[in-house]
Amino acid sequence: MTSDAETAHVHEHHWEWSWAPLFVVAGTFFLLPISFGFYFAYDSLMYTAIFAGLGTVLLLAGVSIWVNEGLTQTPLLAGVANIGLPIFILSEIFIFLSLFSSYWMLRLGGQSWPPEGTPDGGLEKGIPLIMTVILVSSSVTCHIAEEKLDHGDLSGFNKWWIYTIILGAIFLGFTVYEWQHLIHLDFIPSTNAYSTAFYTITGFHASHVLLGLGAFIAVLIPALGGRTNKTFVNCVSVYWHFVDVVWFFVASQIYFW
Amino acid sequence: MNTHTTTAGHAAVPAWKEWLLTTDHKRIGIMYLVGSMAAFGVAGLMALIIRAEQMELGMQIVTSGTQYNSFLYFHGAAMILAFLIPGLTGFAANYFLPLMIGARDVAFPRINAFSVWLFFFAIILALLSFVIPDAPDIMWTGYPPYSVNTSGNTAFYVFTVHLLGFSSILGAVNFLVTVIYLRAPGMGWNQLNIFVWTTVAAFVLQLVFIPVLAAAVTLLLFDKYLGTHFYDPSAGGDVLLYQNLFWFYSHPAVYVIFLPAVGILFEIIATMSKNRVFNYKAAVYPGIWGIVAISGIVWIHHLYISGMPDWIRLGHMVTTLLISVPVGILVLSLWGTLYKGAITYNTAMMYAASCLYLLLIGGLTGIPLALPSMTLHLSETSYVHAHFHFIMALFSAFALFGGIYYWFPKMTGRYADGALATFSFWMNFIGVNVTFWPLFIIGKEGMPRRYWDYEMFKDVLVMGHPFEDFHKVATVGAGIIAIGMIMQTYNFIHSAFKGKPAPTNPWNSRSLEWTHTVSPPGPGNFGDTDVVVDENWTPYEYNK
Repeated sequence: MTSDAETAHVHEHHWEWSWAPLFVVAGTFFLLPISFGFYFAYDSLMYTAIFAGLGTVLLLAGVSIWVNEGLTQTPLLAGVANIGLPIFILSEIFIFLSLFSSYWMLRLGGQSWPPEGTPDGGLEKGIPLIMTVILVSSSVTCHIAEEKLDHGDLSGFNKWWIYTIILGAIFLGFTVYEWQHLIHLDFIPSTNAYSTAFYTITGFHASHVLLGLGAFIAVLIPALGGRTNKTFVNCVSVYWHFVDVVWFFVASQIYFW
Repeated sequence: MNTHTTTAGHAAVPAWKEWLLTTDHKRIGIMYLVGSMAAFGVAGLMALIIRAEQMELGMQIVTSGTQYNSFLYFHGAAMILAFLIPGLTGFAANYFLPLMIGARDVAFPRINAFSVWLFFFAIILALLSFVIPDAPDIMWTGYPPYSVNTSGNTAFYVFTVHLLGFSSILGAVNFLVTVIYLRAPGMGWNQLNIFVWTTVAAFVLQLVFIPVLAAAVTLLLFDKYLGTHFYDPSAGGDVLLYQNLFWFYSHPAVYVIFLPAVGILFEIIATMSKNRVFNYKAAVYPGIWGIVAISGIVWIHHLYISGMPDWIRLGHMVTTLLISVPVGILVLSLWGTLYKGAITYNTAMMYAASCLYLLLIGGLTGIPLALPSMTLHLSETSYVHAHFHFIMALFSAFALFGGIYYWFPKMTGRYADGALATFSFWMNFIGVNVTFWPLFIIGKEGMPRRYWDYEMFKDVLVMGHPFEDFHKVATVGAGIIAIGMIMQTYNFIHSAFKGKPAPTNPWNSRSLEWTHTVSPPGPGNFGDTDVVVDENWTPYEYNK
């Protein structure tokens, strides 16, 4: 309760409102459909840059308002996001299943695999192994960070949380390196059915890693100022473990099977 | 959200902010209603243009086949994705589901607002197709290779689907958690309103199947703009992959619309008959969840003529026919709820009663389409077009309109019933029959759907008349519907502000949204005391 004068109206309700959802949606709208449309359908680099910039600003503003409200306001039922997130992940699982089944449709429908145009001897197998090690380590550091927070050690949490972000960034760096290397070998998305599936699936996974990094930073910034929330941290880390587990399926099917 | 705390400064918040930026489920529900009715209006206008174009042979209204395609695209995409799904799972679920289970709001109110904004921006993106060069012209299905090769802006179609899909997935997460965790203390699973069950089932379908659609259209986007070859057989892709992924979602999407519509019917019919729901448990478990269980294994009936092995067609014929069993159980429960009831006829009940007829026609005309041998003949004819309009456009939309009349006193504190309501109902009901029966008849004789003209059939006579005569009748029917809908919309707007004031529970319902809160409910829904129900309570306890 904010003041003693209001004790007579303990349960007085008022209309709730927030800028955050509108900002996040508007930001996403400008950043993805509009920018993409201008770049690919209407060939205008200037409008692409303008709308991508506007979208990014709105998105960041929206997320920061949202995180701030989430850390200061009491939810109707605390901790319920710990249930909501796994339900959302169920949905994510189905999108990955769709991509994997599309991949197998192409692969089993083709005459030979890998098809013509693939670099001799298939793709480099060392890189995905190193990437696997990095991503698994990041899940471990993420878990340690959470343990630290459970024991009330906020500075320890921050430290291990930052390690996780660094590992995630290195993972993305490897993706960029590998893509550059393959593009240099003329293995580009339009080369054949394998490259089609390869760039789509690894790219889709990388976009999840990127989203996870964004979520990590959204947790980190207020945490550096001493404000954090166990439900929020738990949701981000569960999401990160999910991204980690999906990588096993991506790597095993794309590189090794 | 912070519903249990008061803050001194809140009285000064301007009304537009409290509405536009709201995170309250009821106001979000109203925003969904306004958005979906607007989409209905524009998409309905497209339908009128399509019908006017078909009224006579030759090109009269549209200036090119491509423009006709764009109108078809907008009509289909907007009616399904921006009117029916948001109207039923956005508006009706948002406003009434939390009230029915005795919750003060949904589990994640800001995510709820996020969903409604995704919906609005998706409508904006779809409406942009009227002003941009190279509008999308790929129907609501977006089949490759046309959607990849066209100069139309397939990207906007894909992103519209993305925005609406993401909106629905988050809605699903939100409402599933709400129903699991925020039910009033004492409310067991067998005490839920049927509408709550149907909405939960619809959201389960959205959660599981939308990602597949999202994947399908994303791969389409990559194929068109990034040069991948998922749907390109010349480079090792598979053009049928799209149809499979697309219908893997889009057939269950029929039940995403159908189930909440049936749920609304149950609420109206039980209340207006003052009767228990006949065979409640049979309706819920084998009925509603039976549909959910089978919905994912019937999609091949959309691909019977696309080149499927016979054994797959046969299997999906069996599962498609099997789905009439749970639907039949639901229909039996609906009719059984009327049995020995004390029926009140008002506008909501007239819509509900007409739905029983529309469902019967729509359902029975679907049986031939489940059979591959019949579909070889009927596929891509206006018979199919008339069949799915009976289920989607007529049955589901009429259930939604009935629901609006039924809950109108709850939302506004006023009745929408009256002479204008009754008259517009009959206009709509007569109009839809006049429009779609002729299309069954000429469809059976080979009239293709989606064509802007039918010159090649000008010598074909059905019952002594050319196709043109049937198209004329259908177009007149569309005109009747248009008049009915305009009158009805005027009636809604007028009644919302100047209608006859209604008491809190005008229909003497036993459901929580009527018995435990004022009309319209304020913030926090239930005033100071939390709702608690005892173990014998049900929303349908009518002691005659």
